[in-house]
Amino acid sequence: MMLRPCFVLLVFLFSCSLVWGQAKYTLSGTIRDGESGETLIGASVAVPSMGLGTTANEYGFYSLSLPAGDSLTVEFSYVGFQNQDRIIFLKESLTLDVELGTGVDLEEVVVKANSYEEQLKTTEMSVEAITTKEAKLVPVAFGESDILKIIQLKPGIPSGSEGTTGLFVRGGSSDQNLIVLDEAIVYNPNHLFGFFSTFNTDAVKDLKLYKGGFPAQYGGRLSSVIDVKLKEGNNKHLSGSGGLGLISSRLTLEGPIKKNKSSFIVSGRRTYVDIFTRLLNKASEDKEDYNPIPDYYFYDLNTKINFQFGEKDRLYLSGYFGRDVFGFDGDFFDFNFDWGNATGTVRWNHVFNSKLFANTTFTYSDYQYDIENKVTGFSFKIGSNIRDINLKSDFYFALNNEHTLRFGGNVTDHQFTVGRLKAGSDDGQINFSAGQDYDGLELGLYVSDDWEVNKRTKINAGLRISGFSNDGTFYTGIEPRLAARFILSDRTSLKASYARMYQYLHLIANAGAALPTDVWYPSTARIKPQTSDQIALGISYLMSKDYFLNVETYYKYLQNQLDFVDGAELFANDNLEEEFAIGKGRGYGFEVSVEKKEGRLTGWIGYTLAFIEKGDYKTVDPFGNFAQTGYFSPIYDRRHDLSVVSIYEISRRFTLSGTFVYGSGDLRWLAPSRFTLQDVYGAGFESIVPDYRERNNYRLPPYIRLDLGLMIHFFPKWGESDLSINIINATDRRNTFFIYFEPEFREVTDGGNQIEIPEKISARQVSLFPILPSISWNFKF
Amino acid sequence: MKSTCYLFILGLIFSLAACNLEQDIEITFPEAENRVVVECYLEANRPFNMLITTTAGYFDPFPTTDNQFLENILVDSAQVIIRHKGIQYGLANQVVFDFSSRQVFNYHSSQLVPADFDSDFELDIVLPDGSTITGVTHILPAVPLDSVVVEFKSPTDTLARVLTYFTDIPNQDNYYRRMLHESSLDSLPEQDFVVDDRFVEDSYVFGTNYDFVVGDTIFNTIFHLTKDHYNFLQSVENATNANGNPFAQPSPLISNLEGTAKATGVFTGLNYVRNRMVIER
Repeated sequence: MMLRPCFVLLVFLFSCSLVWGQAKYTLSGTIRDGESGETLIGASVAVPSMGLGTTANEYGFYSLSLPAGDSLTVEFSYVGFQNQDRIIFLKESLTLDVELGTGVDLEEVVVKANSYEEQLKTTEMSVEAITTKEAKLVPVAFGESDILKIIQLKPGIPSGSEGTTGLFVRGGSSDQNLIVLDEAIVYNPNHLFGFFSTFNTDAVKDLKLYKGGFPAQYGGRLSSVIDVKLKEGNNKHLSGSGGLGLISSRLTLEGPIKKNKSSFIVSGRRTYVDIFTRLLNKASEDKEDYNPIPDYYFYDLNTKINFQFGEKDRLYLSGYFGRDVFGFDGDFFDFNFDWGNATGTVRWNHVFNSKLFANTTFTYSDYQYDIENKVTGFSFKIGSNIRDINLKSDFYFALNNEHTLRFGGNVTDHQFTVGRLKAGSDDGQINFSAGQDYDGLELGLYVSDDWEVNKRTKINAGLRISGFSNDGTFYTGIEPRLAARFILSDRTSLKASYARMYQYLHLIANAGAALPTDVWYPSTARIKPQTSDQIALGISYLMSKDYFLNVETYYKYLQNQLDFVDGAELFANDNLEEEFAIGKGRGYGFEVSVEKKEGRLTGWIGYTLAFIEKGDYKTVDPFGNFAQTGYFSPIYDRRHDLSVVSIYEISRRFTLSGTFVYGSGDLRWLAPSRFTLQDVYGAGFESIVPDYRERNNYRLPPYIRLDLGLMIHFFPKWGESDLSINIINATDRRNTFFIYFEPEFREVTDGGNQIEIPEKISARQVSLFPILPSISWNFKF
Repeated sequence: MKSTCYLFILGLIFSLAACNLEQDIEITFPEAENRVVVECYLEANRPFNMLITTTAGYFDPFPTTDNQFLENILVDSAQVIIRHKGIQYGLANQVVFDFSSRQVFNYHSSQLVPADFDSDFELDIVLPDGSTITGVTHILPAVPLDSVVVEFKSPTDTLARVLTYFTDIPNQDNYYRRMLHESSLDSLPEQDFVVDDRFVEDSYVFGTNYDFVVGDTIFNTIFHLTKDHYNFLQSVENATNANGNPFAQPSPLISNLEGTAKATGVFTGLNYVRNRMVIER
């Protein structure tokens, strides 16, 4: 029964396409950067004399249906590049690959992802995009440009606590973000417990984030899709870039394997704080009271190769490998903790004809952590792992200028190892182990039509059918997607969208901060998939040539939200599901942004008013405890969020930048009362036991941060370089990282024993950053 | 040049580390009603004792004298009855000090708790404001120790560790509390933790570090806990550990007490084995 509406929709979509398919010839091709050969996503193609146009898709491919004609002028454009006019004689379908040149020095312009006109016309809404060039100009901590951090300055994407990259998009939790790197899922996008993301900005081409209005090709997460694309590599000439920062260095090399046909890119970075701490440990090893500093470092490596086979086929191979390593080697105690992602992508682009383009991808994703601890005579190992193998095919069918169809499907094999624990004594007398393995098969089929109903109205209607199988349990999800745009005037458009999403995986994370030990868990017979229904309404307004206003409001309803029973035992528990509680959630809010992408002064101002509540929780174990009743706000319920980002190009040599963020404080669950526990004889009494009641009952002080940056550009003969001087938290505000309570005791003698009686409790706030200057040097040749 | 650069960077790191990133903060909670806390551990062949106290606001001032400390938290004038096999045991509101355990109770009956491991004990409390507290528990049999083994690191080494073996009761969920004291039970325990038997199929062993020398006296105690007692202790530990740990999940107290008073605490049977040993080579 459920399949019937899907079939009807498919028939409708295809029949629409046939009815309106009246164009005679098709102009198609790929649009690339003339300097590097990189495809230009979203570049515009227009025939002004006919009022027709389109944009290149995410693979740089475009297709435009045109009537036969002589001397048609086709205009190719992309902001930051010189427009290119081509005169064509269309007597048959024509392939025209175009390379756009900058014409000016690239550093002088900020390449933007979409022109304002495109933003106005597209059915896409709730989308934020950023390029690496924008990202590199925004001031960042330790001079480490981080594209995932910078996207959090856009409205509707508040981050977690300071120093974390957990994203809470429109009230969704941090596990509800589909993060893909070259179409392979990245399960943990964090290095250093969230201080940095796993994305090396030098290797990234661009990042696009969907907060709502999800196109049908995306599925598997409820709240956002973060699509990160790696550069393809310069297929014109060998080039490189890199940087030296306070805590890490990075180097990227790219170049042609065969000019204009194939290219490679290799990019790596590594932190080196461990080199200093080892020196310090060595210098202090003779000191009696010296506690050695543990080793910590992270590294990652991105690589990509692409080959063009003939005119219609291109093959891409890309991979990512990153690890964080934290270790301590003592006389009696060895501790090693490492975690990281590995991804691999094999992608094949094939142009069937001027209307049909296909992208087939095989991806591998792996995330794991391992902790090994050795104390004299005993050892302890724990680890978890999720591994995906995914096959996906996407078809892009530009039927005519009114209808662009997309359809495809994917199948993913998931393997989960949840809480693998082994412990025991070296002599083998003591041994115990725990852990569970799961398999899951996730499927998705979709179709969508981007339908230009008339000059004012455009609809993107799609349907996704998803499924998940695990140990004899099979779930099916029917996920309708709808987005519509209505142009009110040449400056104003109205937009609306609805999306239903299914998520078959759950993250077992019991704290607000993202931790590497968070474990992914599949839907099972008792744990149903999470779902969300989101509607959004928006208005886009081109205020002037330079300023673009976007206002959106949304409501999101979430079901089967995972939380944990009071006192949940999540560590190596073979009956983990009995620790779960399943509830509902709702989020709603209002976002407004003003952007300026051209001129000497660029940047944006974004404001979000948001509300999020969760509740109605029921424990999986009928005897489980979940004391909280009714709805409550999660810790990331940030009521107001304002960000201002500005970049001012003083001259060719100097660029000044600044970001200002104001956010309502996050919530914390604090105990409003306490008591003294006498306990049984021998235990000693516990003088201060916190009595936690209502969840998340305290709002932290507002988060306020001003960051400033100055970039000095140099133009040596061998290329370009810049010195980036940043001042993070320029006002030296102490934002709250966490709060703890410090009791003061007095000692009294009781029966010959000294016991401590509390006298006073003080609340102490810990901050992560003072004012933090940093300097880094970046180069490009 | 290289070493100057390192020194500069090290200097910068240490300067940042020296910045004062902690400060006092004023916290105001919405008014939270105090609630009653009950502690009652029924030991076979021991008198009925119970401590009924109350919570206080987290930042409320603490009493300045030792006497006030008790006065401020004891709840008086409650009617306390424990029933077992149809017999009612009334606990009178009187402060008693158990000199052997150095513990204080404010409800007491000199009648002894029956050594019955099969039947439930039921608690009924009526507080002065008329609200009620109820609870049910039982006493579990103790689990005997199989052996306590002293192991020296090497034949010549002076430091030893202690391994305590006992057999888990099969075919049921068991919960244990392990305490290890050195010298005296009045001192704070060297080890004190609770475990369940989910990792263990038959034999349990608790070890120590190589911390002991010949002549040391140790007290090994294994409590056989009820599930309610285990949950309560775990929740106390979780609540205490979460205080200030940004990566920990706070936990409300998990109590087996019910009734209109919305009290917290634990009403449980208590049984254990305790072994005193002097370390010998």
